[in-house]
Amino acid sequence: MMSLNMLSRSVTRTALLSSKRLGPVSFFSNNDSHSDFAPQRKTISDDDEALKMIHEHVQTNHIMLYMKGNPSMPMCGFSATVVKILKDQGVDFSSVNVLDYPSIREGVKKYSEWPTIPQLYVGGEFIGGCDIITEMHKTGELADLLKPEKSDDKKE
Amino acid sequence: MLRILTAATRRDTSTLFLKRFMSSTSNNNNVGAADFPVQASITSKLMEALEPSALRVINESHMHNVPKNSETHFKVVVVSSKFDDVKALIKRHRIVNSILSEEIATEGPVHALSIVAKTPAQWKEMELTGNGKVVIDKSPNCRGGDGSLPSK
Repeated sequence: MMSLNMLSRSVTRTALLSSKRLGPVSFFSNNDSHSDFAPQRKTISDDDEALKMIHEHVQTNHIMLYMKGNPSMPMCGFSATVVKILKDQGVDFSSVNVLDYPSIREGVKKYSEWPTIPQLYVGGEFIGGCDIITEMHKTGELADLLKPEKSDDKKE
Repeated sequence: MLRILTAATRRDTSTLFLKRFMSSTSNNNNVGAADFPVQASITSKLMEALEPSALRVINESHMHNVPKNSETHFKVVVVSSKFDDVKALIKRHRIVNSILSEEIATEGPVHALSIVAKTPAQWKEMELTGNGKVVIDKSPNCRGGDGSLPSK
């Protein structure tokens, strides 16, 4: 267990975002846990590279959100709504700020064949954007989908 | 007969009442298609493809950081029996996305599209729950945008 767990959540997120080694994926946790095991990312050079990267993101991060802005400062009302829902669900999730990565912003639309951001993936599968996530949250379907993640042991 | 869902007042686009109209125009201003071509295109494409029993195309651009009379942000409320066999929300939304693929393409005019897609039975249930009127949540407030569109 790393002593980096002692870092505050905001510092952890800032460190992740500014780290070239870790690339575009940042990790949000309600529990101050530290994602020192986050996958390393290369600089994105072209469209194919972006698609491969997205595939890796969604396969290795159980809950993966492509959004505008980041969880502490969303830049779009739709993205903010999904972030709030995930926080209300009490789950940890990974995110990419597509505003910083134009090739991921376009690549994720091709990857999911979905035209807009935000995009939420769970277990490697595209679940939907703001409207769908909101509806699923209301009906309880989202809680059921995320249930296995909530009961997992906390990452350390 | 096609039922057009309208708001009680111009500003109150979050509350929809069921009414019958002779016109196929669906915006509150009674302005023609020439003034709002994107809205007209969205309306006609959805009507043709889904033969909805109720349809509302709401221009939400005024809620965002774009110039007046923009046609960049829309909410569509569509009630169609064509969704009877499409249970998954994501599949219904993909159907609407494909009907409006030109409008919502990266190079197209629409920057954001909110979709409410219901079957007639679901809509009736919502009416009963709401004592004859259906309340559709407004889309989230703008957070300033990403700077890719001309601002107000």
